[in-house]
Amino acid sequence: MQPILKVQSLHKTYHVRVGLLKRKNIPVLTDISFCLGKGETIAVIGETGAGKSTLAKLLAGAEQAETGQILLNGTTIEDDGVRQDHCRHIRMIFQDPTRSLNPGLTIGEILDDCLSYNTELTHKQRDKKIAHVLIRVGLLEEHYHYYPHMFSGGQLQRVALARALILDPKVLVLDEALSSLDPSVRAQTVNLLLALQKETGLSYVLITHHLSLVKHMSDSLLVLNKGKVVEYGKTAQVFAQPKSKVMKRLLNV
Amino acid sequence: MHLLDIKNLTIELPTENGVIRAVDKVNLSLKEGEVHALVGESGSGKSLIAKAIVGVLNKRWRVTADRMHWQGVDLMRLPPEKRRKLVSQDIAMIYQEPSRSLDPTAKIFEQVSESIPEESLSGNFLVRRQLRKKRVKALLHKVGIKDDKRVADSYPHELSEGICQKVMIAMAIARNPKLLIADEPTTALESTTRAQVFRLLKSLNQLKNMSVLMISHELEEITTWSHAMHVLYCGQMVEAGPTEKVFNAPLHPYTQALVKSLPDYAQGLAHKESFYALKGTIPPLQHLPIGCRLGPRCPQAQKQCVVTPKQKKSHGHTFACHFPLLKEDKKCNPS
Repeated sequence: MQPILKVQSLHKTYHVRVGLLKRKNIPVLTDISFCLGKGETIAVIGETGAGKSTLAKLLAGAEQAETGQILLNGTTIEDDGVRQDHCRHIRMIFQDPTRSLNPGLTIGEILDDCLSYNTELTHKQRDKKIAHVLIRVGLLEEHYHYYPHMFSGGQLQRVALARALILDPKVLVLDEALSSLDPSVRAQTVNLLLALQKETGLSYVLITHHLSLVKHMSDSLLVLNKGKVVEYGKTAQVFAQPKSKVMKRLLNV
Repeated sequence: MHLLDIKNLTIELPTENGVIRAVDKVNLSLKEGEVHALVGESGSGKSLIAKAIVGVLNKRWRVTADRMHWQGVDLMRLPPEKRRKLVSQDIAMIYQEPSRSLDPTAKIFEQVSESIPEESLSGNFLVRRQLRKKRVKALLHKVGIKDDKRVADSYPHELSEGICQKVMIAMAIARNPKLLIADEPTTALESTTRAQVFRLLKSLNQLKNMSVLMISHELEEITTWSHAMHVLYCGQMVEAGPTEKVFNAPLHPYTQALVKSLPDYAQGLAHKESFYALKGTIPPLQHLPIGCRLGPRCPQAQKQCVVTPKQKKSHGHTFACHFPLLKEDKKCNPS
């Protein structure tokens, strides 16, 4: 089966000015490659500063990589830092839903913006689609007219999910999207994500430090340390026989 | 004797649309050297209770309690001056958001050295200065900060959230307090440093006989080493008792839901199968339901649940529910 997302030798370096003339290069990611099949989940774990969030931003197109390719469904969408299509097929959900939604717009306007900038749909079609997506993530049609401050944290994460799903993406990047939620709300959100995956064959890139959640949700696992892949394999296998020092340390605690 | 003994603690907020009761008649008692966990989701009033004990709540909140005894002294009846002195001597607290709780205008060294008690240092001015420097260094090392020189010489905004958290812990343990209240001390930390912090608190508890009141919304972190657990929901104490009992044989539907929502403990759950979760979300403080506040979300709710259930106690296990779980099992097994 052809993988839906394929990442080949991704490199990323940050340039920092030191003094007046000197520049320092800080490599954040070196030689990252992995595959993700349809309806599968890959988990990315690692300590802080391992480059997890940078990888998420690269995948979602918020930042450009230095070298390396990102292939979606067999076609190259990013080649050596040049991106062809923006934010349509790979969508991202951020850590803190209270801060990632515009407080000045209603939920309907937030979702409508996504559609009007990215699609050719008419006004009526857009409204229909928004209503459909709101129901799919477990909210009501009436929430169209609500502002973000009128929701609780768990509901806001559903709104963020609706914003990600509205463009019918193939891959969803969850950057610590579940860690700020309360346990019972988190269980609800995980259930929703798993149900969506079963229905539509959505693929997830799950970035978290919650190991038990990784074990439960993911099919394959990528362990990063200082920007390098130290371990990559099936989740169950990596958990059963960790080879790298980092993974052993993460499991021992 | 109990170190801390609280009975019927109620915290209210008077507003234009009536009084909001954020914490409703909570009982809590703690012996010396014990580790207690206060568990609940956001908005359940955990932090309010902690702040009420230390006495740093805003003046808008109305705090009442039948008794709030610290080693036999009623904190509620003390004048504020005396209370502050007593509390600052024996109780230390780690606040939730470290980068916001530290002073942004002072360097870390000044802030940590400020929390070292003056009477523990001896000698003249110069000797004391040297001693203080040493103590700060030792404290920073103790909480696992390796490059103490750089950290001590920087302002809070220059440091990461995790390091700020560690600095807060260092400041809290500087006085060797009898009780440490830790309000979600590990939310900003990743798993390896989190384990480090827990090991540190554990060793302080065992070596110095320090009591710890751990506040957290992550059940699995604290179950392994706390003696007792208190579960809060929307300001009501739903269940309290020895950790093992509460965790392995919960009597309240809410506690059961919390335990079942943990992937590691939900036994027999297949890969990618959905979790057991309560319907709905936590009600906001303005729209609290009457009676048992879990009522609208509870799978076993019945007509009686509109009356607030009384706290019942059996074998040191307190619960507040009209229809506790596991009742029928006893009838099935007459021995």
